[in-house]
Amino acid sequence: MINCNNLILGYDKAITPAFNLAINDNQWIGIIGKNGAGKSTFLKTMLGNLAVISGSIKILGQAPGKINQLISYIPQEREINLADRMSGISLILSSAVGWRFGLPWYSHKLRRRVAELIELVGAGDYAHQPFNTLSGGQKKRIYLAQALVNQPRLLLLDEPLADLDPHAKQHFIAALQKIHQHQKLGLLIISHDMHEIACHLDAFIHFSSTGVHFCETIECVKEDSYVGV
Amino acid sequence: MWAYSFMQNALLAGLMVAVVCGVVSVFVILRRTGFAAHALGHMSLTGAAGAALLGFPSLLGQLLLNSLAAVVMGLLGDKVKKNDLAVGVVLTFVLGLGAYFLFLFQNNYAGSVMSILFGNIFAVSSAQLWSLLILGLSVLVVLMMISRPLIFASIDPVVAASRNVPLRLLSVIFFLILAVTVSMACQVVGVLLVFVLLIIPGAIGMQCGESIYGIVALSVMSAVAAVVVALYISYQFDLPASFCITMLLCAGYFIGLIKNYVVKT
Repeated sequence: MINCNNLILGYDKAITPAFNLAINDNQWIGIIGKNGAGKSTFLKTMLGNLAVISGSIKILGQAPGKINQLISYIPQEREINLADRMSGISLILSSAVGWRFGLPWYSHKLRRRVAELIELVGAGDYAHQPFNTLSGGQKKRIYLAQALVNQPRLLLLDEPLADLDPHAKQHFIAALQKIHQHQKLGLLIISHDMHEIACHLDAFIHFSSTGVHFCETIECVKEDSYVGV
Repeated sequence: MWAYSFMQNALLAGLMVAVVCGVVSVFVILRRTGFAAHALGHMSLTGAAGAALLGFPSLLGQLLLNSLAAVVMGLLGDKVKKNDLAVGVVLTFVLGLGAYFLFLFQNNYAGSVMSILFGNIFAVSSAQLWSLLILGLSVLVVLMMISRPLIFASIDPVVAASRNVPLRLLSVIFFLILAVTVSMACQVVGVLLVFVLLIIPGAIGMQCGESIYGIVALSVMSAVAAVVVALYISYQFDLPASFCITMLLCAGYFIGLIKNYVVKT
């Protein structure tokens, strides 16, 4: 699914040493590392928003930016400009093939799919409520449904558990778990609370000053004390 | 009163401008480009002054200058949050130019300044009606063509960018749409009150509408109703039409505000 060859990431200058990685289809991967180690840069590079410093990366056999319709990205910070009474459903519908030109047309099939996704992420009780009145945890589950509406092959989550209270975290992780059971897609998740979701993941990528390593278990990265294994 | 040709022209011009502004104002609010709408209105003054200097119709001058400014603003501020800075820079430059035009034309220009500032819907000619129709249809057709990615990019710009939605291109096209709409609306309410038709209908739509289509429909209906009723009041009581449009739309917005407050409490 993802192949990195002597890849060096960075903005204008390198922030990671060269590394090689091979991630298989439908694997669920946790990305761990200190702030500034290159985790978010990795996701932005995959989307083609940032150029590589050197080396190459292929996602589903394509160069970054070529197949973004098959990748869903949930950024750490975002700007949502919904009107006061617009609901989470409006947000999800607006994203459905949102890159295609023309008038938006929300078919019965699409609405049915959105309803299924809302059930899948457990947002049925509040998906019709005005989005701006929802809590942080509720909004994040709407974002999950939104990310799935275009049937992506790969899901990129950047710190989805940040700012959530323990209760909301558990709900979000439960939603991820259900997605893992019902949808065939790969997932890369950056989190500083990796110990809370580690049991649902297949492997980990550790970004550190010494290099970028692929680990089958979270124990292999426990030298980073903040991982909190 | 509707038998008079100047009233028929005023009604047709008002309806065309109201429909276009009703649709565009929803996007102005969603994309937080209220400042741009206001700035383009002010820039229209420079466009009209420049046209007078060169002997062109004022609508042409407004269209050309606003479109040029729109392209620059669109290129500088493709992200919704970056718009204000881009608009501010272009507005300052164009207003400076306007001050110079006004200086050159201080004798001949002053007479028409009032109609440019506050509009004169009762003076719309048949030729202007055709111009408004062509411009209005162009705006609506282009909006229909780009509405899906424009809605996505307006509501959720970061995720839209990650999906390869062309934010910069959409920003330029939207600013061009706004430039044309402002130039149209200036004929009816003038450059100072153009803000009214580009903000309040959308704001009224958002007070009650829950979906994008619902909001646009309510916005268009409120703009159309305000223009038609304002023309009637203006004729019957000999009041300025732009004043009546402004008061009616503001009243509609405040009624919606009170209604929502009452429902909430």
